[in-house]
This record gives sequence, structure tokens and C-alpha cells, in this order.
Amino acid sequence: MSDPKYDCAIVGDIPVKRFADLILDIGTFLLASGAHSGRVKSNITRMAITWGFDVNLQPTFKGLLVTVKSHCREDDTITMFKESPTHVVHLEVLTKVSHLSWKVYEENLSIEETENEFDKIKNMPHYNPWIVSVAVGFSCAGLCFFAFGDVFNALVAMCGAFMGSVFRYKIAALKYNQMISISIAAFITTMITGLGTVFAIGNYPEAAMATAVLYLIPGVPLINSVIDLIEGYLSSAVNRALFAGFILLCIAAGMTLSITLLGIDNFKL
Amino acid sequence: MIHTDILLSIARDFAIAFVVGVCWGVLFGTPKKVLIVAGLLGGLGHCLRFILLELDFGLIMATLTGSVAIGFIGIVAAHRVDNPPVVFTMPACITMIPGMYAYKTMLAGIKITDLSVVDDNPTILITMAHNLTLTMSLLFTLAIGICIAALLFRQTSVKEIEFAKKIERMTHFK
Repeated sequence: MSDPKYDCAIVGDIPVKRFADLILDIGTFLLASGAHSGRVKSNITRMAITWGFDVNLQPTFKGLLVTVKSHCREDDTITMFKESPTHVVHLEVLTKVSHLSWKVYEENLSIEETENEFDKIKNMPHYNPWIVSVAVGFSCAGLCFFAFGDVFNALVAMCGAFMGSVFRYKIAALKYNQMISISIAAFITTMITGLGTVFAIGNYPEAAMATAVLYLIPGVPLINSVIDLIEGYLSSAVNRALFAGFILLCIAAGMTLSITLLGIDNFKL
Repeated sequence: MIHTDILLSIARDFAIAFVVGVCWGVLFGTPKKVLIVAGLLGGLGHCLRFILLELDFGLIMATLTGSVAIGFIGIVAAHRVDNPPVVFTMPACITMIPGMYAYKTMLAGIKITDLSVVDDNPTILITMAHNLTLTMSLLFTLAIGICIAALLFRQTSVKEIEFAKKIERMTHFK
């Protein structure tokens, strides 16, 4: 898709700043929703080709740096940086933005229409926290079965994951630091599953201990970090790995606190 | 008799992985329409891994095969449901997340902060190193499965991959 498909008579009057603002908005929102850098680049490139721009990106975890050049007016160029919003994984945004960029590429959407469509995507709601918490409970129970736990272990894991997830959303809604909410959620979950271990509920309580906190695992940043490494976006990869590693550390800190409160000798390797 | 046992345990594995895949999809905000695809892919990948584990293929090899299978079928499924594949391969691959090894790494890490415990039982260091390496390797294999399209095909978008287009045409009744 490298052939010039733009027509300067039609798209030549889009100011570079307007285009840069739009792609910065889209790019940072994609980064915050859990897209890897290659996806941000390919989605933005589709729009740039349609409207006759040349784009170079430097994605990091905290923001996006772009340089935009106009093909129609050679000396018209701009470099801008925008910080990304708080990272909340929301894969539906990836679908919607991908559809939007293909629509621009294939149906030659104008920049006004694209801006309006993107405003709609921005206001798209996530699943209700209660539904997510119930789902989290079920998935942790399922993972507990995979770790050779029995039905009682799975019930303990489900209960712990549900309670932890509810508290996580509540603390996050009070605008505390993300790391605090994750540590407290890990603490609460491990408290419940740890009590299950102390009172020897089920025949393999370690399975519940290990799997109930898995809903906090930063799976998307971890996997995106490896994908970025493979595709050569090194700074973004390092940033994501650091972020994910620190979340893992926070989970471990929360778990350590409750394990030591309950007595480390109750937990065998 | 033995065959029904094996089939039953495979079916159980598939069913649990289906639920886990759908629920991770909800956590990650996957669109409602493709939640079921995430579940099916998760079930398929995990029961493939289960079968290979039963056949003594080794944990890392089995997980790699499972996640690569998810990646490939995800490319074809992306054409059918018109979504980027990450949207459902991500929750599907997370069904194979190495939680138990990560937990053991952490527990051993807490225990070695106490010197007397390490003096009594030095193998705890080996346990920690082993579990840490295993966790990292398994995470890496999951990532390979998800970005298999970027690794093996030269197109930047899954929409332009030829073999997926062919399969899509073969399976479409219109």
C-alpha cells in the first residue's frame, strides 16, 4: 500500500497541525488501550497515505512523538508530542480504530467525519465493574482447576478474586495511584485464599493461592513488550516491561504482606 | 474404556478453557460479538496443549504449539468476524498463563529473605531460579503465538494475508 492514492486538489488543504492533532489523539488512545507500537503505526499510516502526509513516529509508553510532512506542500512540516491517558486495557478500541482507519483508506473519509467518528470511539463504555468482577471470579476458578485444585479450592479462588477485583475498582474510582489499588487487591485476595490454606479447605490450597491473583497480572503490557522487542520498538518495549514488572512487584508485595501476616510457615513450596 | 476417559478429560479441559477465555475477554474489554471466538480459541489452544502434555512433549514445546495454533486460527477467524486478531488471541493465550510457577518464584523469594531458611535448605535458590526461568520462557512463547502473523508474513495488516483470504473464500457460502 505504498502507491500514492491522494489527490492534492482534494486533500491538499488539510493543515498539518490538524492532522497531527488527530493522529496524536488516536495514537495515544490506542497505546493506552493496549495496542502494540506496530499497530499504532499501521493504523496511522493508512490515514496518512489517504490524506497525502508522511509520518514518522516514536512511540513510548507514556506518550507519542510524531513528525508530519505534507506531500502537497513540501515545506509544511510539524513535530509534536502528546502524553497518553491512564492505561486501561480495552481491546474493543483496537477493533473500532482499525475499522475507522480502513474506512479512511478504502472509502476516502474526510477529516471532519474521522474526527467525529473518533469522538464516538473515545466515549465508548467499558464493561460494568460488577460484570468484570464476576467474570474474573469464574476465570480464576477455571485456572484453579487447571492447577489441579478441586471444587473447594476453585470456590475459594473465585471468592478471593471477586472480592479483590471489586476493591480494586473501588479504589481506582477514588483516583488513588494504580499501584496502590493493585497492591491492596492482591492483599485482599491473598488474605481470603490464605485463610483457605490455614483452615485447609480443599485438598490442594496452594492452587487457589497461586491462581486467585492472576487477574491482576499485566498480561497485555507483558505480551506487547515482547511484540515491540520483536518489531524493533526498543524504547517502548523497555517501558512496557518496566511497567509490567513493577505491577508484578506490587502484586508480590501485597501477597507477601498477607502471607507474612498469616505466618509464612503455613505455606509450603 | 480408557479412550472415553481421555476424551472426557480433553472435553473437561476444553470447557474450562472456554470459560476462562470468555472471562478474560470481558476483563480486557473484547467486543461482545467476538467473546465466543476468544473462548473457542482458548479452549482449542489449551486442549491441544493438554494433549501434547499427555504425549510427553514437554511443557514449553506444548505451550508453544498451543499458542502458535491460536495465532494461526486467529488470523483466519479475524477475516470471518472482521476484527483484528489480537482482540481474541490475547485472552485466548492468557488461558495458558504460568500462574503456578510465578507464585512459586514469589514464595521462594519471600523465603530466602530469611537466612536461616536458606541455610537449612539451599535447594530453595534452585527452586526459585527454575521457576523464574520457566515463567519467563512460557510468557515468551505466549507472545510468539500472538505475534506469529507479524513474524511469518510480510504484510503489516492481517487483512492482506493471502492464505487467510483463500480459506475465508473456501469457507464462505455466498
